Amino acid sequence: MNYLLPERLDRLAREYALGTLAGPARRRFERVLRNAPAAMRAVGAWQERLSGLAGAVPPMQPGESVWRALEQRLFTTSSPRAASGPLQWLGGVLSARALGGVLAGAFLCAVLLRLQPGLIGMEPQSEVLPQSYVGLLIDSAGKPTMLASSKRHGRLMTVKLLQPVEIPAGSVAQLWALPADGSAAFPVGVVPGSGTGSVALADTSEKLFFKVSRLAVSIEAAPAKAGDKPSGDFVLSGHCVKLW
Amino acid sequence: MPTNEDLAALLPRVALGDRAAFEGVYRATCAHLLGVAFRILNSRERAEEVLQEAFMNVWHGAGGFDTSVAGPMTWLINIVRNKAIDALRSGRAERASTLALDEEAMAVAADAMQQPQVLFERSLEKLRITGCMGGLGASQRQALALAYYRGMVHTEIAEALGAPLGTVKAWVRRGLDRLKDCLEAAGVRQDSLA
Repeated sequence: MNYLLPERLDRLAREYALGTLAGPARRRFERVLRNAPAAMRAVGAWQERLSGLAGAVPPMQPGESVWRALEQRLFTTSSPRAASGPLQWLGGVLSARALGGVLAGAFLCAVLLRLQPGLIGMEPQSEVLPQSYVGLLIDSAGKPTMLASSKRHGRLMTVKLLQPVEIPAGSVAQLWALPADGSAAFPVGVVPGSGTGSVALADTSEKLFFKVSRLAVSIEAAPAKAGDKPSGDFVLSGHCVKLW
Repeated sequence: MPTNEDLAALLPRVALGDRAAFEGVYRATCAHLLGVAFRILNSRERAEEVLQEAFMNVWHGAGGFDTSVAGPMTWLINIVRNKAIDALRSGRAERASTLALDEEAMAVAADAMQQPQVLFERSLEKLRITGCMGGLGASQRQALALAYYRGMVHTEIAEALGAPLGTVKAWVRRGLDRLKDCLEAAGVRQDSLA
């Protein structure tokens, strides 16, 4: 059928815009719309005419949960326009398997991997995540704030801020690792207050984090050195888990 | 409601990934758009789901917004209406076997001022085309109102109004023709920036 004959196009465009075009005919016309500017304009003109009918519809304030869910779906997971980077693969999986699940906010699920350590850095494209250490740090309000990950045998940690952290001028956000046995926290590196960043590790993740159960961030006057202790309360903290 | 100028300035920024602009569009339009979805779905929960899906599309599709095709509010309303219509039609079988328990929907149903015909008349007043549309019979108005506010198709309107299908199709067609003529006569291009 030639959808673009003017009379036919106008009939379809008005029925589509109003909503009375239904079923397979509606789907077919939507496909036409994607590729035919003339059809899009015809629909646009009818939508424009009809939009005035929405003028008297009483507004209804949505619950704040709608916006929060949008933020979570769009900005804490991978999306075509979200910052791309080493963590993007993780975001996609997190949205599906962890953030939306019962452990949201604090803990990540572990995924079994079959990769060998020797292959690190040259993994084939795969659906399976590389063996990594992962931390999801939440703020004092319980909101997921920072995602940290490093490959098991790598020496680089990637961090992504899911919401900005306020860092006073002249201070730094210091990331700490807290061993499971309760021994003293040790400094990992300085992290940014927003966006993404990477932290060069003093050793491989496996050596540093094998016994670490939590990660945390404090605000410090200067980057901490080995042996230093956090000077104040943690502004962020969360579990550190092995992703394998 | 926000002005179209505000929205027309924000949407291109959304297309560039500006989250603040996206939140600005959401905050400015969400209540009006939820109202539109709610009329069609008659359930706050489902309408909120549709609103969320619609704004997912807004974020990903803001680059496709084109002022030469439609104004920003028209563009947004249509994303929401299309999602709501799809949700309505895909959930029809499920809904037929369940009772309407949404208190808000019951309250709206009981409030005559929120019925489709009333919304229709009030919108015409706002558009200042009440007089011009006066030539349209009550059934024609009702048919158009049920299609627009409730997302009904011709067969459903025919059933609701107890009229033959062919008659209903003619009512809707004439109603739209009249609306087009009246808007043109009044020089209304309510959502256009052109």
